[in-house]
Amino acid sequence: MKELQKFAYPVFFIVMAVLPHMLDDRWQAVAITFLIFAVVALSQDIILGKCGMFNMGQALFFGMGAYTTAILNNEYGWSIIATIPLAIIIPALFGILLAGPIVHLRGDYLLVVTIGFNIVFVQVLQNNLGGVTGGPNGIFGLDSLSFLGYDLMSQISVYYFAFIVLLLTLWVMHNLAGSKPGRAMHYLREDQLAAESIGINTRVYKIFSFGLGAGIAGLAGTVYATQYSAVSPEAFEFIQSVLFFSIVLVGGSSVPGVLIGVFVMFVLPEIFREFATWRYFIFGFAMIAAMIMRPRGIWPATFGKIPKFLIKDNNHGA
Amino acid sequence: MAHNELILTDVTKRFGGLTAVDALSFKVESGQIYGIIGPNGAGKTTVFNCITGIYKSEEGSVLWRGEEIRGKTPYQIVDRGIVRTFQTIRLFGQMSVAENIMSGRHIKSTQRWWHGIIPTPGKKRDELENWQKVEEQLDFFKLSEFAATPVGSLPYGLQRRVEIARAMAVEPTLLILDEPAAGLNDKETLELLETIFKIRDKGVTVLLIEHDMDMVMEVTDYLTVINFGKKIAEGTPEEVQKNPAVIEAYLGSEDDDDE
Ligand SMILES: Nc1ncnc2c1ncn2[C@@H]1O[C@H](COP(=O)(O)OP(=O)(O)OP(=O)(O)O)[C@@H](O)[C@H]1O
Ligand SMILES: [Mg+2]
Repeated sequence: MKELQKFAYPVFFIVMAVLPHMLDDRWQAVAITFLIFAVVALSQDIILGKCGMFNMGQALFFGMGAYTTAILNNEYGWSIIATIPLAIIIPALFGILLAGPIVHLRGDYLLVVTIGFNIVFVQVLQNNLGGVTGGPNGIFGLDSLSFLGYDLMSQISVYYFAFIVLLLTLWVMHNLAGSKPGRAMHYLREDQLAAESIGINTRVYKIFSFGLGAGIAGLAGTVYATQYSAVSPEAFEFIQSVLFFSIVLVGGSSVPGVLIGVFVMFVLPEIFREFATWRYFIFGFAMIAAMIMRPRGIWPATFGKIPKFLIKDNNHGA
Repeated sequence: MAHNELILTDVTKRFGGLTAVDALSFKVESGQIYGIIGPNGAGKTTVFNCITGIYKSEEGSVLWRGEEIRGKTPYQIVDRGIVRTFQTIRLFGQMSVAENIMSGRHIKSTQRWWHGIIPTPGKKRDELENWQKVEEQLDFFKLSEFAATPVGSLPYGLQRRVEIARAMAVEPTLLILDEPAAGLNDKETLELLETIFKIRDKGVTVLLIEHDMDMVMEVTDYLTVINFGKKIAEGTPEEVQKNPAVIEAYLGSEDDDDE
């Protein structure tokens, strides 16, 4: 499996790097959607997969990033690129504020509370609270991407924007896996009491996971707003959160697992148009089957990122 | 200044109508191997939970190095140098032995939250230093060959060893072991005794619960016997062995003491 991954990653990156030049407009759009939703699903994986927090409101942070970009661009004339820092920071802060009072809740309670947040968020957007969200129609007519004075109108530019965001996300997740906060999240997911009893302030790392996951989802929101030059409430409904949640659960908390999940959920329905109406049905069955046969996901998380010098020749390896 | 002393005074913990620990007092001195013994359900584990912050006792005081630690959280107590193992082993089952031991390095690591996002040279150095400390523990506990093995797939005896190794990775001042010999065979128990002596020789104070009288007699310097949450005797192993109240308590429950 490890050998396969060593080989598969470069191939995946190269294919993704040249892909848009081989696709027509429609398929480019599908590919961009894949990249964006992959980033959101990975951000959900940080909270649900790595940290074990049953968060069913990831679309909220995604939408918050998208709306931050849309409002700053539309109302205040910021360029899309200039909105990025706030499109990360605002959802991240919100994630931290929301998580603070609820992370001590048991899994099922947390699930219900985050669903509640998601529903309230969409209601706020639809009712145009504050007069900046554009109500049920949302905000449209955003500027296209521009950078250092260059206009990057083409869909290919949006594709590479999305691709860079995905690479950035994978890089962050790689850093996380080999760090004290990343390990702390694993420990508390496996056994919270044991984690506390070895010196880990689990609350801090739960909130951290929400902040980080929300920030990355927010960045994906910026790309989403760029792709459609518009945002509207229904894209961030609670049902979207359910999809991200199930992708991580069914795929398993691993990069390949999450990418496969996103592919099945968002790309296959485009390939087989007739599949589109069936996707929830099929995905529902996939969830049931996966949870019965592979309760840790189709491509489960692999631990064991330990330095080579610890692995001796006569190891009873993993 | 009180040096590395743990002093419990009139600690009382109730569960509903049941008084699991009843006005218990004892004092563990620096460098001792201190034993707590008593029949099933005597309240031994509950005392440990009160010391390590898992429960807060309703009454009494728990002084560690002169500081009141009653009511502190488990991680705050670890931060002060007290680390424990569990009667029912609590490891991170899907993770490797090395990663399990690495969890003990958490409080020693200098990394901050942003190191989970952006790497720095300092972080790299810190990672390496802590993994080297893990290597030391792997060597000390003769676990090197299992470094990459998921801990859940190991036999019971090895899991116990990993749990102690994890606790030792914290470099504690006081190590608390809840029935470390439970479920071990004779050979493993002997190895455990050796390990405990070696740990003490490193300057670590050891507080342990044990069911097995023979082991307690061999390993501890001083002990407290409790029954129904109350202290019924204390002293050196020789003194306690002769105590009629102890003999009585143990004869009364001899047959149900295996689990
Ligand atoms: N969380 C809890 N809630 C209610 N009662 C509890 C709880 N924990 C322990 N008890 C009760 O407190 C008493 C003391 O339990 P404790 O686990 O401390 O005993 P012990 O001396 O460790 O026994 P053993 O030798 O079986 O481990 C028992 O009667 C037990 O049922
Ligand atoms: Mg016990």
